[in-house]
Amino acid sequence: MADTVNNALEPRLDRRGFLKGCTMAAAALGLSEAMIPKMVEAAASAERPRVIWLHFQECTGCTESLLRSSHPDLARLLLDIISLDYHETVMAAAGHQAEQNLHETVDKHPFLLVVEGAIPTKDNGIYCKIAGKTAMDILKTVAPKATAIIAIGTCATFGGVQAAAPNPTGAVGVQDLVSGKPIVNIPGCPPNPVSFLGTVLHYLTFKKLPALDKLNRPLFAYGRRIHDHCERRAHFDEGRFVENFGDQGHKLGYCLYKVGCKGPETFSNCPAVRFNDVDVWPVSVGHGCVGCTEPNFWDTMTPFYERLPNVKIPATGIIDSADRVGKTVLGVTAAAVGIHAVVGIGKRLIKGKSEE
Amino acid sequence: MATYTKHHCWSLLLRLFHWMFALSIVFLVVTGFYISNPWTNTMIEGSAAWPMANMRYIHYLAAYVFSAAVAIRLFLYIFGNAQERILDILPVTGRNINNLFMTLMQYSYISDKHDERLGHNILAGLAYLFTFIAAIVMIVSGFYMLFPEAPFWEGWGLTLFGSQQFARYLHHILMWWFMIFAVIHIYLCVWNDVKEPEGLISSIFTGVKFKHKA
Repeated sequence: MADTVNNALEPRLDRRGFLKGCTMAAAALGLSEAMIPKMVEAAASAERPRVIWLHFQECTGCTESLLRSSHPDLARLLLDIISLDYHETVMAAAGHQAEQNLHETVDKHPFLLVVEGAIPTKDNGIYCKIAGKTAMDILKTVAPKATAIIAIGTCATFGGVQAAAPNPTGAVGVQDLVSGKPIVNIPGCPPNPVSFLGTVLHYLTFKKLPALDKLNRPLFAYGRRIHDHCERRAHFDEGRFVENFGDQGHKLGYCLYKVGCKGPETFSNCPAVRFNDVDVWPVSVGHGCVGCTEPNFWDTMTPFYERLPNVKIPATGIIDSADRVGKTVLGVTAAAVGIHAVVGIGKRLIKGKSEE
Repeated sequence: MATYTKHHCWSLLLRLFHWMFALSIVFLVVTGFYISNPWTNTMIEGSAAWPMANMRYIHYLAAYVFSAAVAIRLFLYIFGNAQERILDILPVTGRNINNLFMTLMQYSYISDKHDERLGHNILAGLAYLFTFIAAIVMIVSGFYMLFPEAPFWEGWGLTLFGSQQFARYLHHILMWWFMIFAVIHIYLCVWNDVKEPEGLISSIFTGVKFKHKA
């Protein structure tokens, strides 16, 4: 049985766990097994890269999912191969000591920067402050000195829930504020720890960041559409759908398309890598994908149980489905056409037929 | 005694464009509604009916016909005959602006005067131009959804729409324009054929219009 609560509390990683973690990351990256020894060598090297992990507007869910993954080896492997100099959730230091650690690393050493959480920009960024400084200022000081930046989670990549309309704090992702630095986006709410670990190990092994898509997401994890790798896909093509949660189709494991699954417009490795060591992901347990790895998903993927966002007509307060609005406009058009024809006939009856 | 003369108006290519466009839209709308909200549910497992797969297949076939039709129209806007070129329908010359005004007056029953003209009136031409632009948006958003991993479509799709989901939303909303356009288009063609008989409706089959001998 998996050591889900980490009973052993053994801080060091055993060799078996170390190799297992490296192999998992290599598999996620799509590397051949011949590369595993190289990766092991890189991960075992004495020079552990320094990592600064900054938390801004977030729920710490990304860190939690990483640390509490039922696979303790994964988190331990990660903490073993990097030197985590500053991480508000797990560091032992507090207060001035923590600040000193941060500044020492920033000023004196090369380091990787991981950002978790969105950065509020409205009113000079006063909506998120740490040690008396705004998130904007902290990022402005730390980011230019980092060798590379990994934005973890949808908040740090695209702004997340804070940036959802009307975005009261003007929250944005890292890539909107930092330029001139290599940035890797690992979106998800939370992202799969394997995607993060794979990126770090790729960087350690090859000394460069993995290949990215146009949204700066690593292609090994975000290169393919969820819908194309879904175990329920055959039900979609065959037209077998869940009409309501709990109906017969739902019990039989049919496609969740009609109850709003966003798999067809979402890119992630969820169906392949899955979560929590027990091979589950939302669709496998009967809930549609909500599209959490895509930009502005809180605005464009909602309502979560409908296919499309509602139409909002400005200044009228009308919020309705696209088809209801479309039907109404089409009906009004048909009525207008009818009235136009009647007026024409009426005019002819009154004035008489014009001369040909 | 012939009081009408025959005028060649629409090239074969334009008539081909029209029917490719019209028929592909019928298929695209019907299959598009199915894809958006499938109204069947295959309750017998192992029936191998593949309704969604088939609907999507028809949708893509029709989409290629639609795209080809739009490419033909673009060609004709530049290289077509006098009635088909874009300058014939843009309100940029005095003659065209006058025609737009007269058409509006006639359509709103204020005036009975009809501006004699072989090609489109300017109001119709502008509606077609708008539909042409909407068609290009449909094509780009459609290909972006079909080939999201292809660098070309990924780049353009992200630049124009920001995400797959927004492209899908726009694709769905714009579809309604094509239905609304069809209602108005068919009505006004019949209306014009009644008001000003020149063989307007048959001209899209034969390419020929009839005008009063001067």
